[in-house]
Amino acid sequence: MPVTRPKAEGRGRRAVAPILLAASLLCLTVSTRSLEGVPESLGLSLLGFFQRGFSSVGAFVADTVASIAELHKLRDDYTELTEKLERYTNMERGLADLREENKRLKEQLGFSQDIAYERIASRIVAKDPENLYSTITIDKGIGDGIRKNMPVIAFQDGLEGLVGRVVEVGRGTSKIVPLYDSKSFVAARFSTASRTEGLVGGQGSPDYPLLMRFVTKQAKDALQFGDLVSTTGYDSIYPPEVAIGRVRKVRILEYQTSIDVELDPVLDFSRLEYVFVIKPDVSAQQTPGDGAAGEPSK
Amino acid sequence: MIRSIVLSTIILVACSLAQSTWFGGIAIFGVVPDVGLVVLIWISYRNGLVEGPVCGFLSGLAEDFLSSSPLGFHAFIRTAVAASASLLHGIFFVDKLLLPVALGVAGTLAKAVAAGALHLLFGSAVHVYSLTDRTLWIEAAYNGLISPIIFLVLTPLSRFLVTDRGRR
Repeated sequence: MPVTRPKAEGRGRRAVAPILLAASLLCLTVSTRSLEGVPESLGLSLLGFFQRGFSSVGAFVADTVASIAELHKLRDDYTELTEKLERYTNMERGLADLREENKRLKEQLGFSQDIAYERIASRIVAKDPENLYSTITIDKGIGDGIRKNMPVIAFQDGLEGLVGRVVEVGRGTSKIVPLYDSKSFVAARFSTASRTEGLVGGQGSPDYPLLMRFVTKQAKDALQFGDLVSTTGYDSIYPPEVAIGRVRKVRILEYQTSIDVELDPVLDFSRLEYVFVIKPDVSAQQTPGDGAAGEPSK
Repeated sequence: MIRSIVLSTIILVACSLAQSTWFGGIAIFGVVPDVGLVVLIWISYRNGLVEGPVCGFLSGLAEDFLSSSPLGFHAFIRTAVAASASLLHGIFFVDKLLLPVALGVAGTLAKAVAAGALHLLFGSAVHVYSLTDRTLWIEAAYNGLISPIIFLVLTPLSRFLVTDRGRR
């Protein structure tokens, strides 16, 4: 029901919104053509501090509530675990012998026990405030050695899986674009005997499956539900053989030269709390003839 | 006016921070409500042509820093939504239920339209809502649902968030 009419506003007041819209468009024009992410990085550094604060407060409240409930459970668990501990102490003796034997066998086979890359453990502190985008924010930044384009993995239910890659780094926080983002692409291959390759991309939401495109049609007979897909390492961002997802459905279109394969991610992104950012191994990237750093070339 | 803009912007940035850190638990099918947008609609509707768009622009910039969107994306969307809401300033009587729900739903749809316009201009550099995707409709319904509560909470704060000109 109309009650009052807006009073005639001054020309200056009317100009505010168009000026701000134009300023927004200017920002977009600059940022979409990329200024090396400098303004975004500065803003992230500033707001990341507050974001970590909000996350900590939320975590504190949630932890306090959860800990009360957990206290009761802990009492029962304690009794049960004491009994288990006794059993496992006996088992451990046998395990130590097996571990030694395994180590010897691996050395004989020429396997390297060295970890190929260094990992930075990080906690997820925030997600994108908007439903349109799917960023994940972690509590480690440039001061912890994190750089743009570093790959991110996580462990869940005993399996190592790919999370995504770092797209922006602030002082104390970093932004990760997850696998399921519509702008995320990873060179991948089937871990089965066929070793067929393709390109895995997201569909914008963790609720939708990942999509592996450009898979050759010849591979369709070899594909089975549940086949594992891993990274190839070709794109120089992601390390090879990190699990991505398992085959859910194969889409075959007659007019296409390749097939599309829907994948269920190996990680449940809604349950992710901790991730590992992988530092690239510089020595592994050097060619065999490079020699050590600082060594004069001959 | 400056006090109103500063306080409103602080509240809006706090809403974005809360959305990114705490709201995962209340997501419906992975969709979180845009509390900041509803607060912005209230501020714009109550204040008129200047305060809303300025707060929308500043809080949108802050949200751009928190999101993987290109810088200016949320600034544009929020300025556009705030400008649209401020055009309605003083036209309708704000009841406790119907108008807040209508503004919450319409604001979300206006946001989708603004994102669509940017997508036309900048192509795949910006994301856009799909009309056939449930995300937009869940968010619109969710925002409509929370609007009466947020309007109710904000009304006692009018003294700080609404200018004298807006109250007239």
